[in-house]
Amino acid sequence: MSMDVFLAFSSEVTGFTEFDLLGTGQAPTYHSTVERVVGSQNLDDLLRTYQESVTELDDEQKRARQLGESVLDDPRLGVIARNIIKLWYSGTWFDLSPEWTAQFGVPGTEGTFTASGQAYAVGLLWFAVGSNPPGARAPGYGSWAQPPRIPHLPPSSIPSSLAR
Amino acid sequence: MTQHTLIKEDRLPGEIHRLSDLEAYLNAALRLEHATIPPYLTALYSLHPGSNSDAQHVIRVVAVEEMLHLTLVANVMNAIGLHVDLTADDFVPNYPAHLPSGEIDFLVDVQPFSQAAVTTFLNIERPAKAPTEESRLLPCPDASELGVGTVLAASPLDPSVRYYSIGEFYDEIERGLRYLDRTFREEGRELFVGNASWQITPEYFYSGGGEALAVVDLATALRALTVIAEQGEGMGGGIYDGEGELSHYYRFEQIQLARYYQKGDIPGRPSGPGLDVDFHAVYPVAINAELADYPPGSPVLEAAQRFNQTYADFLAYLTQAYNGAPSRLLDAVPWMFRLRDDINQLIRNPHPSVPGVNASPVFERIPIDRGARA
Repeated sequence: MSMDVFLAFSSEVTGFTEFDLLGTGQAPTYHSTVERVVGSQNLDDLLRTYQESVTELDDEQKRARQLGESVLDDPRLGVIARNIIKLWYSGTWFDLSPEWTAQFGVPGTEGTFTASGQAYAVGLLWFAVGSNPPGARAPGYGSWAQPPRIPHLPPSSIPSSLAR
Repeated sequence: MTQHTLIKEDRLPGEIHRLSDLEAYLNAALRLEHATIPPYLTALYSLHPGSNSDAQHVIRVVAVEEMLHLTLVANVMNAIGLHVDLTADDFVPNYPAHLPSGEIDFLVDVQPFSQAAVTTFLNIERPAKAPTEESRLLPCPDASELGVGTVLAASPLDPSVRYYSIGEFYDEIERGLRYLDRTFREEGRELFVGNASWQITPEYFYSGGGEALAVVDLATALRALTVIAEQGEGMGGGIYDGEGELSHYYRFEQIQLARYYQKGDIPGRPSGPGLDVDFHAVYPVAINAELADYPPGSPVLEAAQRFNQTYADFLAYLTQAYNGAPSRLLDAVPWMFRLRDDINQLIRNPHPSVPGVNASPVFERIPIDRGARA
């Protein structure tokens, strides 16, 4: 499944724009990380389900409900979706539970790990709270005395590549 | 002191005969120092993180020292009581800008890190002394030959001529300072009448290479100009400056020759450890991007507009720091890191209308609303 759909899905579930996500420089890394761990079939199924059931809806409430029903509440896809959210926010892929693995296939990579050397520094959580990752991406001496710069929410939760 | 320096002290300025001439030259110097910063920053941030750390380090050090040079020019202006303004409509150049390299001009592009970018950087910093007094000032090239970008190191008094090199441009300022200081004294006046508390000193400007020195008289003004010249070109043809730092030209040459210089080396023959350069580990950012290049409504256009405005605000903020509020420079540091993050974000996004090219920050003039200022 294409990078475009992965980005649109990621935007929808993280609340950050596709521009913001591309701006981390980690989109290709995260895409290949997920594919490597859960296998391309599981990732394709997740993105296809999202594409078929959610992307066409133009009402934000309906989209959120549909996203819950067809993806997040699904025992197989929901776990992957939550892990993708956590991956974008923290740069870390969290180990899947043995139950999930036993039921849906052996992951390609086990364990909890950081997706790349840059992933931690560009985790969305730092942008979300208007802070900097401690020990990385230096913000300048004394900047901690200033109020956090919390970004504005995008005007719509609909990914801009899907907006009509 | 060399024979050469002694002779130079008696050389009269070609164009700087009055205070207003000197002001025009120092304003042009301020523009010249700033003009190198967008190309250096864009090339620096175009490097993939986690790769090319040698090249990253080299470019970063030079970019920070160009900021020091900007500050030193501001100090000279403030020492004379001249107004420093980074918000003037013509402060940010139009790229590609022109710079002289002896008889010929070359173009300075805002572009990704590449062999061509390194060649441009070498041209910017290349030491060049005019062979004769008459060749210090040469006619500006025909705009139709090189395009219509800003001509840097041109005479601010006569736009039809430009200096043989940046070195000669600064040499004219040095001559002008000596000349005016002398004539002022002869008339019982003082050239350096600025408020000393406006000087940017090391407690407000900290970085690795070179200090922000306070300018209070002719000697310190000449010292400030010497730091600018030596950090760029080296001292008297050597590869190191007066403080033992490798000069910019030879820093960049290390990238071109893929080897570090070490003490005792002669120009062109570095003998230190190898320097790894990967010209492929680079985001292919758009060259000399303008806001008009990005389609209306695209997130990249919005981000580029936001960056351009933030950069303009930053220049306005620096203007305050250089006009009696030096402590504001401390807050400028976090601001620069935010600009860095904004550039990084743009550069990682694809160009919305050019396949295979990434977006690039835009450094465009934004005329400020002067009516709003008291």
